[in-house]
Amino acid sequence: MKIPLYLAVAQWTLLFAFGLLLIVVYRQLGRTLHKTDTPAPLGPAVGSKAASLEYSRFADDTVQYLTPGDGQPTLLAFVDPTCLACEKLVLALGTAERAGEFSGLRVLLLTSSPKSYLKVSDAFRTTRLECGRILAQATTQEYRATSTPLLVAIDRDGVVRAAAPAIQLAEVRTFSRACLLPPAGGESIPITPAAPQHENDLEAAAPAAGAD
Amino acid sequence: MNVLVLCAKTALACLLIVAGGAKLSDPASFASTVRLFIPVRVAWPVLSAAAVGVSLGEVAVGVASLTLPAITALDVLVFAIACAFVAVSAMGYAFHRGRSCRCFGTLFQRKFDAAGVLRSAVIAGIAAVALVHVGAAALQLDATARVLLLAAAGLLTLAAFTAARARGTGSEPEPKVVAQ
Repeated sequence: MKIPLYLAVAQWTLLFAFGLLLIVVYRQLGRTLHKTDTPAPLGPAVGSKAASLEYSRFADDTVQYLTPGDGQPTLLAFVDPTCLACEKLVLALGTAERAGEFSGLRVLLLTSSPKSYLKVSDAFRTTRLECGRILAQATTQEYRATSTPLLVAIDRDGVVRAAAPAIQLAEVRTFSRACLLPPAGGESIPITPAAPQHENDLEAAAPAAGAD
Repeated sequence: MNVLVLCAKTALACLLIVAGGAKLSDPASFASTVRLFIPVRVAWPVLSAAAVGVSLGEVAVGVASLTLPAITALDVLVFAIACAFVAVSAMGYAFHRGRSCRCFGTLFQRKFDAAGVLRSAVIAGIAAVALVHVGAAALQLDATARVLLLAAAGLLTLAAFTAARARGTGSEPEPKVVAQ
């Protein structure tokens, strides 16, 4: 039996397409399995253009769009209400906000958890900072927010000026200064990221922190 | 020459199916890209519906093109879509340079850049090749073959959807404890 030419070509093309998708899944599986051994880079690259994002604002359940580069410096905090370190960061951000250190700055708390999770943390429940849920999976991918807490400082041109885990007030201040830096090419503020604890300490501390 | 044209035809069909299937896994991502090209403020549900509509349209055209190769109108439609890709890439490059296009959802990280415009132009070129006339004998398919191709197209959509979903959920943030 002779196979029509179109069918033969279509078979090979489909095989190629399936193979390509298999490689994508295989690479993702590899990343997932080796997550603890070779941690993925955290946060977007400094100097890169920050991606636009959309989030559901918890205050009024409306969808909001954030387009970095719209002229307003932005400090993004990727947090999770179930994480103790994030709670500390939110408290530090609240302290800075009350002290008026965020004037001219847009500060946004972003989480992938639903609104109902806010009640597990006093800091999240009572914060006056804008808080919302990330709507698109691509956002966490583009910002490489693979773990929380993560602070990202974006200047008025939409360029990432700093990105690292942070929880202390001093670190928050450094990030807020980074947001207000003059356009890229000028000075830079060195950010020393808060390094994760040793692996064993992480495992021991995780239940206490309420981490998954 | 026939093989080249048929390769172009099937490759484009698969491209549309994969792109549509991947976008369907995270319509919110693509909705934000759609928003970039709409000058007026539009409600989120409308944007989401538009994103899902475009994704489903891509899948539908891809599946139709794969299973009904003898219909010339579909080749013209694919060529028109490829030209639309070029226009969108060029506009994205002009007005939203460096931003993610999310053309394949979370499957691939593509941005509006010069390479993106070039890629779209190459796709349009391949679509033009697919317009070349091929003898009817090469395109003859019986009902069984059509059903098998339809099943394969469905499976490809599902595979693209799953792969994109795996990529997306695999990059969701996890709470971690950091040193104080």
